[in-house]
Amino acid sequence: MLAVGAALSYDNPADTSIWVLVVPMLLLAINLVAAIISNPRINRRGGLLVFHIGLLSIVLLVAIGRLTYMEGHVEIISGSELSRDLLSEVRSGPLHDGAFDDVKFVQGPYTVEYRPQMMRGLTHSYVAIPDGQGGWSEAVVGDDRPLVLEGYRFYTTFNKGFAPILSWLDEDGQVIETGAIHMPSYPLFDFKQSNSWTPQGGDEIKFWLQLETGLKVEEAWVLDGRNATGTLVVNVAGNRTELQPGQSVKMAGGSLRYERLTTWMGYKLFYDPTLQWLFMAAFITIAGLGVHFWRKISAEPLGLDNASGSKNNRAKDSVATSNSVAV
Amino acid sequence: MTELPWLYAGVTAYALAALTAMVGVGRLGAMATSPSLSVASDSQRNNERLVLSLMAAGVVLLVITLAERWMRIGHGPFVNLFELLISQLFSLGLVYTVAYWRIPVLRTTAVVVLPLMGVLAIWVLALEPSDSVFPPTYHNPWLWAHVGFGKFFLAFCLVGTGLAGVILLRGSAFFSNLFRHLPDNVILDKLAWRFMLLALVFDSLMLTAGGIWAQDAWGRYWAWDALETSSFLNWLLLGGSIHARTTYNVPLRLGAILIISVFVFAFITYFGTPFYSQAAHKGVI
Repeated sequence: MLAVGAALSYDNPADTSIWVLVVPMLLLAINLVAAIISNPRINRRGGLLVFHIGLLSIVLLVAIGRLTYMEGHVEIISGSELSRDLLSEVRSGPLHDGAFDDVKFVQGPYTVEYRPQMMRGLTHSYVAIPDGQGGWSEAVVGDDRPLVLEGYRFYTTFNKGFAPILSWLDEDGQVIETGAIHMPSYPLFDFKQSNSWTPQGGDEIKFWLQLETGLKVEEAWVLDGRNATGTLVVNVAGNRTELQPGQSVKMAGGSLRYERLTTWMGYKLFYDPTLQWLFMAAFITIAGLGVHFWRKISAEPLGLDNASGSKNNRAKDSVATSNSVAV
Repeated sequence: MTELPWLYAGVTAYALAALTAMVGVGRLGAMATSPSLSVASDSQRNNERLVLSLMAAGVVLLVITLAERWMRIGHGPFVNLFELLISQLFSLGLVYTVAYWRIPVLRTTAVVVLPLMGVLAIWVLALEPSDSVFPPTYHNPWLWAHVGFGKFFLAFCLVGTGLAGVILLRGSAFFSNLFRHLPDNVILDKLAWRFMLLALVFDSLMLTAGGIWAQDAWGRYWAWDALETSSFLNWLLLGGSIHARTTYNVPLRLGAILIISVFVFAFITYFGTPFYSQAAHKGVI
């Protein structure tokens, strides 16, 4: 049943129910408990007992993990602090009770190395994290080095890009609101760095960002938002205006000021409180298996010294059987 | 590509080892009816030494192939099928050479094992020897553990398959006569399953190390992707086969078929998946 469930889950088809795995796992757990309790061939052999208890532990830990997990995505602007409202595509187990609201970090700049032909290399994302004494310390994460805070693991992704910071000013020039427009992932969508925003009661404002990042497809290159510049093209009802940082454009009801260009980083979020226990259980399980095999093999030599071939074997003193074998 | 001559030389050494092993086993079978046992023994000993030397030479030449390629493109053989196959030819050859050297009863299995490796060799020679790009998530020590454990897993399966192949071939009169110098099938079966037990340990280690690497690299320890699901099914088949062998009175020939099935499944998993997934773990690099 487990093999059938795994086969049905092959390559993550969207329409496969989780129950095709849950039911066989549950039956496996019941079977393991019964075998551990009732089978003397298991419960009287230390290594084999550890192996079966380990397997049971793994099944239970996986189940606990799926009940308490949390996954999601975060897009965070350089210079801003993580908050719950940045989360998207969140999935979590029914018993998830992690302390996400206690997680604090401030996104800094990042660099991404590219080889010729736009082959992505290493990512270095700089973040400020609480140092435990009321201050902040810097950490560098990226690729296979997640940021781990309160059990939540943040992984950099290929999904990152630029974001013009804009302010909406009233007729008197007072800033009403400041925010960022996330442009599509860069350099994946370098050909369509556009987005739009509709102020309350106003017309849709279309934005197009003309970037200068030093990108050269044929050469190695480092994406670093600190070295990038961008001209923001603003289009409202057919009126096109090009803005440099600090410049503004008048519109109905106020004006829009292009403050500066910054970047955003997309993180994958993962939380599973059983991770360490799971890997520890896996290694103990394998150790139990190893001990069992070692004892079994030590206790039962193959006896190749005295082994002979068929009854009519006339070449049994050949090299193949002339030496002792300890396997 | 400066590594190609070394690859051709390494593959040639393996091919010569296979031919020499076949000649040796054939001669041994013929001499089984000869009254001159001491001549037969000396001749066989020389043949086995030659096979061992050729296999060792093949391993060394493949080490040079991998080193040359590594220096040229700047990373190890972890990404595309061409380099993965060369790497497997090296590791399978290394483990089998050591086993051949240390466990004499295995030597006759060279006539089964080396042709199987020949399939890999022909495949790698038929591939476009393209370079690969090292993904950023591969800069992780658990990658080495994952791949290393996997190599031992497959190599132990290969040794078990060699023995299982001999057991099955003995079903015919021709091979029964050819392999008559070997111990009884019961002992070969026992030895084969010991290698499969070792394979299970290393398969489990490979999956665990892979989970740790995947957790660091992609933020999940398991994802049911093509390769992971196949690996898990392979682990179930291996575990189930060992369970059947230790719990029930599995006939020798059925046991041999189970061993070969595990190897074939592993072969399809690690070398078949790249047919529809260009990278070892498609979609996550």
